[in-house]
This record gives sequence, C-alpha cells and structure tokens, in this order.
Amino acid sequence: MIPVVRRNTELGLILLVIIITAGTYTLASLGTTSDLPADIGPFLGIVLALLAGAHVATRHLAPGGDGVLLPIAGLLNGLGYVWIARLDEDLAGLQATWTAVGITAFVGTLALVRRTRDLERYRYTFMLVGVGLLLLPLVPVVGKTVNGARIWVELGPISFQPGEFAKIILAVFFASYLVDKRELLGMAANRIGPLTLPNLRHFGPVLLAWAASLLVMTAQRDLGSSLLFFALFVVMLWVATERASYLAVSGLLFAGGAFAAWSVFAHVQQRIAIWLDPWSDVTDQGFQVVQATFALAWGGVAGTGPGLGNPDRIPLIETDFIFVAIGEELGLLGSTGIIVAYLLMVGTGLRIALRAETPFNKLLATGLTTILGIQSFIIIGGVTRLVPLTGITLPFVSYGGSSLIANYILLALLIRISDDNASAGVGADRRAGAAP
Amino acid sequence: MPESLLTILKLCALALLYLFFLRVLRAVWAEVASTRTAAAAVPQAPPGRVSAPRRSAGRREKASSHLTVMEPAEQKGRSFTLADELTVGRAAGCQITLDDNYVSQLHARVFLRDGMLYVEDLGSTNGTYLNSHKVSSPVAFKRGDRLKIGSTVMELTS
Repeated sequence: MIPVVRRNTELGLILLVIIITAGTYTLASLGTTSDLPADIGPFLGIVLALLAGAHVATRHLAPGGDGVLLPIAGLLNGLGYVWIARLDEDLAGLQATWTAVGITAFVGTLALVRRTRDLERYRYTFMLVGVGLLLLPLVPVVGKTVNGARIWVELGPISFQPGEFAKIILAVFFASYLVDKRELLGMAANRIGPLTLPNLRHFGPVLLAWAASLLVMTAQRDLGSSLLFFALFVVMLWVATERASYLAVSGLLFAGGAFAAWSVFAHVQQRIAIWLDPWSDVTDQGFQVVQATFALAWGGVAGTGPGLGNPDRIPLIETDFIFVAIGEELGLLGSTGIIVAYLLMVGTGLRIALRAETPFNKLLATGLTTILGIQSFIIIGGVTRLVPLTGITLPFVSYGGSSLIANYILLALLIRISDDNASAGVGADRRAGAAP
Repeated sequence: MPESLLTILKLCALALLYLFFLRVLRAVWAEVASTRTAAAAVPQAPPGRVSAPRRSAGRREKASSHLTVMEPAEQKGRSFTLADELTVGRAAGCQITLDDNYVSQLHARVFLRDGMLYVEDLGSTNGTYLNSHKVSSPVAFKRGDRLKIGSTVMELTS
C-alpha cells in the first residue's frame, strides 16, 4: 500500500522536475543567445533517462523508500546543471558525466546495501577507511593543494576530494559506535546547575573528534569540512545520549578552537576580516563576496531571468558560489526555493529518523540528514555573509564529481532506511487497514 | 525575443518551482495524516474483531510468549517477553543482550510475521541452532522449541 503510493508520488514529482529543468534550460539559452538551445532534444533525453533510471531502480530495490527525496535531489541537480551549462560549457559536459556516475552510485548503493545492519557490522573497517580518506590529502605524493586548501587527491588520471566520501563513512561509523556506547556515554555523574554532566573521561571521544577536526582545519586549511565533521559528531552524540551537556561542552570547545585558530593563522583572520567588512578590500580579498552581494541585490525579487545576469564576474561561481548565480537570475523567489528544497530534504530525513525501528538506523538517518543540512547552511550562509565564508560545495547543485557522487550515495542510504521502516511497519499498516 | 515575454516565462518557471514544493508538501502531509489516523485507530480496534482475526490471534500469541533461559545454570529462569521483533546479540543495542564471547554483536533475530514467530540468524560467527539444527534461513519458532545461541539455551514458553 505505502510502496505503491510513494512510488507514484515519486514518478509524478520527477515528471514535474523534468519540466522545470528543461524549461529553465531553454530560458537560459533564450537569455544568453536569444535562440532555442540546439541540444534541447538530447538534453531532455538524458535528463529523462537518468531520473527514470533512478526511479525504476528504486521501484525494484527499495519499493517502500521515501518518495520525495529523489525528486528534490533531481531538481537541485537539474537547476545546478542549468547554471553550470550557462556559465561554462566544458564544465557542463563533465557535470553531466558526474551526474550519470552519481545516479549509478545511487542505484549501486541501493543494490549493495540491502539491509543497513550489514553496515553496522563493519564499524571499525569503516572507521579506518573514513579516517584514512580524511587524512589522504596530507600524504605527500598523492595530495594536492588547490586554492589554498589541501583537500584533493590525485591518483594517476583521477583526482577527487576524499573528504566528501569520508563524511558518509564516518557517519556510519559514529552511528554504530554510539549505538554500542550510548548508555555508557549517557550516564550521569556530576550536576552543575541545570546541566547533568557525564563522567569526565567520557568526553574522550569528543576531544578526539575535536582534535581531528582541528587537524583538518590547520593541516588541510579546510574550515568548512572541519566544522562539518565536528558538528556531525556532536549532533549524533547528543541525539544518542540525549545529554545536552555534550552540546554545551562541544560548543565551548569549538569556540575555543576557533578563537585559537583565529589568533594563530593568517588565513583564518583573513576570512573573518572579509566577513566583517568586505568593503575595505573591494578589489582584492573582498572582491568575491562583494560581487556576490551585488549580484544578489541586482537579482531583486524575481531575478534578472535565466541567462540575463552577469554571474560570471564572480570567481568560483560554478562551485562555491552557484547559489549566488541562481539568486541573481531567479531572484529572492528562486534562491528561497533552493533553501526550501534543503529544508524539505532535512525535514524528510528527520522524519525517516523518527520512524526508524532500530537505534542504528535512527542515528544513521540523523547523521546523514545533519550532513546535508549543515553543509548547505555553511555555504549558503557563507555566500550571503551570514557566517564567515568557508569553501564547501552546495549539495547536488555545485559543480564537482566527488560531491555529487557522495551526495547520491547519502541519498540512497536515507532511502534504504526509509524502506526498512516501511517494511517493518507492514504489520501496523495491516492493523490500521483492518480497523473500521 | 521581447524582454516582456522572457519575464513572463521566468515567472512561469518560478511558479512551476513552487508548484513542485506544494506537491511535495501535499505528499508529506498525506503520509503524516495517514499514520496519525492509523496510530489513533489501533487502540480503538476492539480485539478479536471478525474483520481482523489473523492479526488478533497473532497479538494474543505475542502477548503470552516468553523466551526463558534454560542454560547456563546460573542464568536459568531469566525470561524475556516477546515483541514484534527482538534482536539477540552482544551489542548493547540488542533487546536481549548476552554477555558471551561466542555470541556475535548482532547474532539473531526473533520476529512475528502473520501471527507466526520466526528465528533468523543475522550472519553470526558461531551460528544459531533451533533444536540442534543450524538456522540458515528464517525458520518457524514454535512453543517448546529450544534456541541455542553461543552457550545460552532458551526455550519458547507461554
């Protein structure tokens, strides 16, 4: 019953996504060249094939999986592609390839992970792989520094960002580790005011996660990922133990670490200075952020129209600043739409976590949702100057193979968990159906 | 192409975008509302109604079944009430936690399907035995059957 309804919802939404993507693609072409796009036929065919392929695979592999996640991801991916194609045709071809690989990874994950508890059993393997991937860019020969951050790995012809995959693998490890240790970690030892503090030695894992994220921040100069990893661990720890004191202590640790980094590292000071006052150095350090602010202002409520703005003035527009390109050409309404899409995804992810039957599934769904939510918050907040700018990709929208593939794997895991929930709830469903 | 036409088309695209979100919200709402009525309906359903005979039989069996430890001797008599699904293993997340080196973290699962109890091995290292037969796929678990996990033997009692 639930599976049929969910899959038909998904199909309906996917058709709408295809119409929106193709329509915006046509509009962007009309805006830039005042002509219909020459390749609209193949474009429609590829979008249709990719989304239909993912949909058919879900029908077979996870029939009870949630029906709104895939369409929302498809919408974000499609809109991202439209703007990448409008800004840089070479990148567009690559992004199309990455999308195809991403959808394949999505189907592959659904096919490979038939039960999430299979993941739970390899927790220490996942820990080693996760930490290994995280630290891989620091290895002398394979690691590569791009734009000041050492987050790339080059193996022969392939270069990728292992951190994008590490975040998912570490979420799996944290979930299985915390399921095992949550009672121990949640035990109350001391009370200070309204806070119940667990035994001091149980803060060991927090300190370890903190040290690891500081290492990522200092050695790889990747502020965004550092914040993402630490926040992921702390949120999962809080959800597993139901102890708010972990949040408080971690918040203090984070503030301390951030302050220390600010006083020691020039690149952190620079970021903060640009955040507080980009206008003092408009032509150099503040250029990117100031141009982004102008672009968003120029867009107004409904935007200049796809293809009619000048987002190509902003450096890194296809990756970190893609949100601004959409904000300029679709205005406040369009950029709000992107935020609404992430809110709906996060809401759906948390609903899946609430419904999850086993503690592991609950924690894993929470962790994966946290990744999506925090990552989009960090970068959208960064380009709109709500928080200091840290380079990180906007999930599903930004140009980037590693990011796109990793996020499709994340999506597949969430859908797998919701499929588990649906098949566990079959009994409850039948009860409800029998009641008058 | 006139600019006014482009503006109209752009507004159409934005309208479609928000139509998409409305449809997502409607789908979510339909699900939340249906589970809410389902949750409300369960306690109201009188037990043993003709419309749901299979289910109520299953519930009655579930309510009265226990797993009672027979071996080792020092644990004898310890008893677990069966729910819709129970996991047995060494991990703290299991409903039945056995502190035994021969038990895997997640060892086996006892679950109710269509009013029948089943045992399934979850890929344990040392195996699960039902009446001395190794459990390789889910098998029916009946009253009086003996389940051996590691060095613990449990019997299904009422």
